[in-house]
Amino acid sequence: MTDIVQALWGGILTGSIYGLMAVGLTLMWGAVRLLNLAHGALYVVGGYAAWTFVDHGVPLVLAVALAVVATGAVGYVMFLVVIRPLLGRAMWDAASIIATVGVATGIQALVLLVYGPQVKKIDPFLSGVYHWEGVAISRQGIAVTVIALASLLLVYWYLGSSRQGMAIRSVSQNLDAASLMGVSVHRTYAIVVTLGAALAGLAGVVLSSILFLSPSSGFNPMVIALVVTMFGGLGSVKGTIVAAYLTGIFVSVVQVYAGAQYALPGLFLLMMIVIVIRPHGLFGRAPVQRL
Amino acid sequence: MFFLLIGLLVPWLLVGFGSGTFYLSIIISIMLWAVIAQAWHLILGVAGIYSFAQIAIVAIGGWVTGVLTVSYGWNPWLSVLMAALAATLAALLIGIPSLRLSGIYVVLLTLSFHELLANYATTGPYLISGGGYGIVAVPHLPIPELGSSWQVGAYYIALGVFALATWSIWWVMHSPIGYACMAMRDSETYAASRGINQFRVRLVLFAFSGFLTGLAGAVLTNYQGSISPSIFEFTVLINVFAMIVIGGWGSFLGPIVGAALLITLEELLTQFAGYSALTLGVLLVLMVLVAPLGIWPMVAKIGGWLAGDEDADDESDEDGASDDPPHEEVLQ
Repeated sequence: MTDIVQALWGGILTGSIYGLMAVGLTLMWGAVRLLNLAHGALYVVGGYAAWTFVDHGVPLVLAVALAVVATGAVGYVMFLVVIRPLLGRAMWDAASIIATVGVATGIQALVLLVYGPQVKKIDPFLSGVYHWEGVAISRQGIAVTVIALASLLLVYWYLGSSRQGMAIRSVSQNLDAASLMGVSVHRTYAIVVTLGAALAGLAGVVLSSILFLSPSSGFNPMVIALVVTMFGGLGSVKGTIVAAYLTGIFVSVVQVYAGAQYALPGLFLLMMIVIVIRPHGLFGRAPVQRL
Repeated sequence: MFFLLIGLLVPWLLVGFGSGTFYLSIIISIMLWAVIAQAWHLILGVAGIYSFAQIAIVAIGGWVTGVLTVSYGWNPWLSVLMAALAATLAALLIGIPSLRLSGIYVVLLTLSFHELLANYATTGPYLISGGGYGIVAVPHLPIPELGSSWQVGAYYIALGVFALATWSIWWVMHSPIGYACMAMRDSETYAASRGINQFRVRLVLFAFSGFLTGLAGAVLTNYQGSISPSIFEFTVLINVFAMIVIGGWGSFLGPIVGAALLITLEELLTQFAGYSALTLGVLLVLMVLVAPLGIWPMVAKIGGWLAGDEDADDESDEDGASDDPPHEEVLQ
């Protein structure tokens, strides 16, 4: 009994983190049709930014907020320098992949140069563990879950109820119609990329307090985020959130019942199967019939 | 013809390098990675499939030969052959589901495969993972001592692999299968209407590319004497990707030029460790903004223009737009 509950709790925590990691990606794909392979680098930026602020004595909460803003700024710069010039060009698919890969490589290299290869860690700000019915629940874990859930719900609400949020959704659904309706497409793109980057920054801060922080630590989480996004349906925020929790629980269950070393391989294997069977995921639209 | 000239030149260059093995080792590296880049380019640039499984297949080639020689005492020549076959099988296994998926999902599928293997290589049974350090003490391919160092023999092996790969890739690219792939890349609807069985053609290409990749990976492992999970790092993947992007996307010589450029760049910048990766990132971004088809097609065009030759684009096939750009309306 305790095993199941422990697995469930772990799943909720993991799922919350996956959700943070993946929502930015799905937004960028849905609205801008951008497969942001620089997302992993953005996690790293968020993590290192927070670490730097903390290192200079900034109180943790403020440091995290600043880190999120900083990462958003990096995202905005990326949009201006790399993405906007490519919009409308013929080889968008390949070019956007190359461009974001270039940005990722550049960021990773910069971080390595500035901070060195040693692994860093952000200390969790809440210590202590609750024990309930034999299940260990860390306070830090609760805090992370609450933050992540709050952020995800905030994003979901923003998309659903605010004017700009509607603009974003309209651009995702039908670019031409949105533009005809007077939506500033470029500005919407800019907002989406910045917002997505900011979310990635938050995810990075969270990740670095739970795992570790190094210039290359963004790649693996990014691939996880990619498959979670796919599982939920590329472009669907609701789908991504649902998929994140399902995936988190899956990983946690595998970890508890089969062993930690099978958790990630199991995840990737499952995802590969899902991609083949149902590439549009849970909530995505089915692709048009191919010849 | 151009290609034959290069093939003839190299052995003469070799004589000059008999004394210093440093440059020799760089050239060996370039040749082997050029094969990997070319093989990936077949999938990426010629067939237009966004597969990122290349490094995973290299790793399979390397690991198979490593495990067979180190743990089972196989003859390295046999293990290399076995490795190439295993890699072909892996390429097919990944290729079959990939072929039914559209562009972006192939990226996801192949990246998942990459991560899956990376995880397994690090945490798997000791036979394979070596406790996370990979396989070491892999024997070199046995060849009689030629010249002052074993590297000379290794050079000829690498040269052989490179020549075999380059020649056969050129042949495939200019064969019905190659043209079929390019037709499918540029316009799937039209290609299908011409009766090209896209599934079978792409599958053959996958298998062919996989074989060469595994071969190169195996020879590389035997040459270096080891293989470790660090090969799965993002930077390695991007390095090979950059060889294609910077060298020439869609052209035959592009990946080879890219491989030479990038490995040389890395060697030049080893003193400023870390700056090579930064330069790479910046180069990639610059490339895609300024010269999306890479350096070689530009060079070929300029060369042709200088020679006053209108048909200079014989070697470099232009990459056509594969999909309708989603943002076309935005810039109006």
